[in-house]
Amino acid sequence: MLKPLEHLKIINNRLLLIKLIGHFPRLTWLAMQLARPLYVDHETFLNRTLRYGMMTLGAGKLPPEEVKAYVTGFNAMRENFKRAMQAQKDGVPLVWVQWILSSEIVAAFGARSLNAELLNVFGNVVGWEAPSKLIAEAEAIGVPVEYCSALKTSIGAYVLGQTPEPDLIVRASQPCDTSISSYQIMEYLTGAPAFTFDAPYWKDEPSFDYYEKVMWDFVAFMEHHLGRKIDWDKLREIINNVNDFNFYLHEVTEMMRATPCPCSMITLLMQWVMREITIGDPAITASAKEVYDVVKARYEKGEGIVKKEKIRVIWWNPPFAFFTYIFKWMEHQFGAVVVNDFIGQCQMPQIDTSSNESMIRDLAKSHLYLAMGRQCHGPVEYITDELKRALEAFNADCIIFAGHNGCQHGWAIGRIFKDICKKAKLPVLILNADIMDQRHMPEKEIMREITEFFRSTGLA
Amino acid sequence: MNILDIIQQSAGKTLNDYLMTAKASGQRIMGYFCAYVPEEIIHAAGYVPYRMRAVQSSGTTLGDTWFSSINCTFVRHVFDKVLRHDFDFLDGIIFSNGCDHLRRVYDNWRYAGVQTPFLHMFITPHVINDNANRQYLHECLNLKEVLEKHSGITISDQALKNSVRLYNRKRSLLNELYELRKAKAIPIKGSEFLSLMLTVTAVPVENAIEILEQVLIEIKGRDTTRPGDVRIFMAAGHMEEIDHLELLEGCGAAIAGDNLCMGLRHFDGQADETGDALAALADRYLNHMSCPRMINDFQRRLDHVKQTFKDYAIDAVILEKMKFCDLWGGEAFIWRNELKKTDIPILVLERELYGGSTGQIRTRLQAFFEQVRNRQVHDDFVQAAGKIYRLK
Ligand code: SF4
Ligand code: SF4
Repeated sequence: MLKPLEHLKIINNRLLLIKLIGHFPRLTWLAMQLARPLYVDHETFLNRTLRYGMMTLGAGKLPPEEVKAYVTGFNAMRENFKRAMQAQKDGVPLVWVQWILSSEIVAAFGARSLNAELLNVFGNVVGWEAPSKLIAEAEAIGVPVEYCSALKTSIGAYVLGQTPEPDLIVRASQPCDTSISSYQIMEYLTGAPAFTFDAPYWKDEPSFDYYEKVMWDFVAFMEHHLGRKIDWDKLREIINNVNDFNFYLHEVTEMMRATPCPCSMITLLMQWVMREITIGDPAITASAKEVYDVVKARYEKGEGIVKKEKIRVIWWNPPFAFFTYIFKWMEHQFGAVVVNDFIGQCQMPQIDTSSNESMIRDLAKSHLYLAMGRQCHGPVEYITDELKRALEAFNADCIIFAGHNGCQHGWAIGRIFKDICKKAKLPVLILNADIMDQRHMPEKEIMREITEFFRSTGLA
Repeated sequence: MNILDIIQQSAGKTLNDYLMTAKASGQRIMGYFCAYVPEEIIHAAGYVPYRMRAVQSSGTTLGDTWFSSINCTFVRHVFDKVLRHDFDFLDGIIFSNGCDHLRRVYDNWRYAGVQTPFLHMFITPHVINDNANRQYLHECLNLKEVLEKHSGITISDQALKNSVRLYNRKRSLLNELYELRKAKAIPIKGSEFLSLMLTVTAVPVENAIEILEQVLIEIKGRDTTRPGDVRIFMAAGHMEEIDHLELLEGCGAAIAGDNLCMGLRHFDGQADETGDALAALADRYLNHMSCPRMINDFQRRLDHVKQTFKDYAIDAVILEKMKFCDLWGGEAFIWRNELKKTDIPILVLERELYGGSTGQIRTRLQAFFEQVRNRQVHDDFVQAAGKIYRLK
């Protein structure tokens, strides 16, 4: 039986540990190098709540200067979790913001935000089985088995008392039906008033107009429920941070075109996680800047993230939340670098802060460029054009498609995807896995399939 | 042949006789998916709106080369038929973002190189509010313009108003029929009603009106119920297998109310005939009884089933979901939890379109009906206590 918020408390303790050791990035890096035999191979009773964090920090394979950048962002996330857990006690409203959205407006109202899907990723800190157990709980109470596991985790977490109660919920009609459906369940279970960001299908001016109005409606919804006005100056400050954050990551995304590739995809993905949790926070912008500085220095020197880059990979579909180390493993084992992907690459447009109106319009518009939403809310071309651009610009040797069990609309265009790959004449590995639930395909199996793929195609 | 036989025959065909006659006389036919697509605009542009279906499907072998095994069987059957040229008689097709499976039909249709003269994606917002209403109106205007451009015609206000009037007439007749099911003696079986729906969504509206008028006369004084029947409220997305409803009826169901695509959702609510026709259509289509794709409306759907339970003396609810349908799966979760609070028995059936498993379904239905019967507390307006249907 789990105690209330037990998972979140464990996660926060581990993040605190990272904060402490993060003062000594070189030492941390060295310790993780030396201790590799104790945790890299598999989870044990002893390393259970430490392994995921160390693997995410590269298990001694991520340069210390990057470890430092991670720690900066991790501290901000820890602060967010802590504040969310204390919101009720502090009498501050807590707003659940669905992972496909972004929390700038919530912060500009002085409310606290919580990404209700956080345990998809962070649940792994508690042990490899933790997210699977949350999923199993959701299924046990009758949540449809075919839902995307990302959302089953959130429902399981809530019913097991692992997510703080929301005062308000902000949800979206994209990227898929699981999102549409599961957040009706969330509203039903929590009884919290919910606002829906109804995403248009297209990315054109009438669609942006619609979404802008949705954003204004959201401001009104917040005013109504919180009984206060939005603080425009605060919003401007937040958006300035967002703009800087996006600028740095956009630049890093672009620099990854270079051969050799100067950055590991896990670094961009971790920045994405930070965005998910606490966008607009100056600390994560600082983290993005640190990443940018490190990558730029490498880029200018013509250095890659691996000494000898042998394989350039495009990773399509979301990465495995439970196996963040895969990127470092591929780099370390095969000199294989993921140079472009579905989630980590940043394509966020800048937001014009010259007036309140321009901020709202551009903010709405920019939300349609958030990862996964950007590709999935409309016609297949929003996915395939991006893939084609990646194929043209990133000089890839192969594609790994992380097939995700519950992604029905994604599998519905499998044939179109395969035809594009065929035309590109690149080898493709299609993994039949689940990005959240490693019961479908555990990390060892993923490594085995990738190894076989590289070998059988002559890439390794 | 009496009218009920005619509709039964028409319902089982992809291309029925009414449609063949219309086609032969030069009328064009426009396929569409989903109850959120406004038929009136299609009609006013000179087309016969044709609700897409998978009847006479021979399987999903070809469909499966484009869709995956985790896609719903409705789209896989339909796409199979597309690739077998069963829908070559269509002069155009209007797709919908109803659900994930459906919206990808638009993509695969284009990439599979199916030769259809007109393709259009019609977007319905996922919420019901003023902003969404304006957006839906914009979408209606857009549809009108693309149809005008494609056909080289102008859709006049008068033509639109005329279409609204005709479709209102069709809806009001369907509503009249639906309401007859309130009576203890239900004059039309659920399976017959489904045949009727399949027919009136695939014939010129003028024919549909005639058919409905005849059916109303034909069923006067009829009683299709048998002693011991369990009065059922059916909820589901797309449903088209008459055999399936006959199976339910064979097990003792009398279908008295519904929330189905091929049911109430098609004819719930009227369009205002006095003001601007497009605005009236936006109002009607966005606000008719919703399906679970509408995020902010589950409370209304719950209220509706509870109210129908009372008004139509329902004994039990059957909610059917197609395998891999997230939307109805989530709805089932909410209904199961909510209806148990009000002691309304509910059975959730998961199936595949033309998926067989009749033996299994029969056993589940028989067991369920038995439980419901044992809980009936009075004869006429039967209420069933459903404490056993508790979630763990
Ligand atoms: S992976 Fe697919 S199913 Fe899951 S949230 Fe994303 S779009 Fe939806
Ligand atoms: S269930 Fe809803 S979305 Fe699906 S076809 Fe019917 S009305 Fe449209």
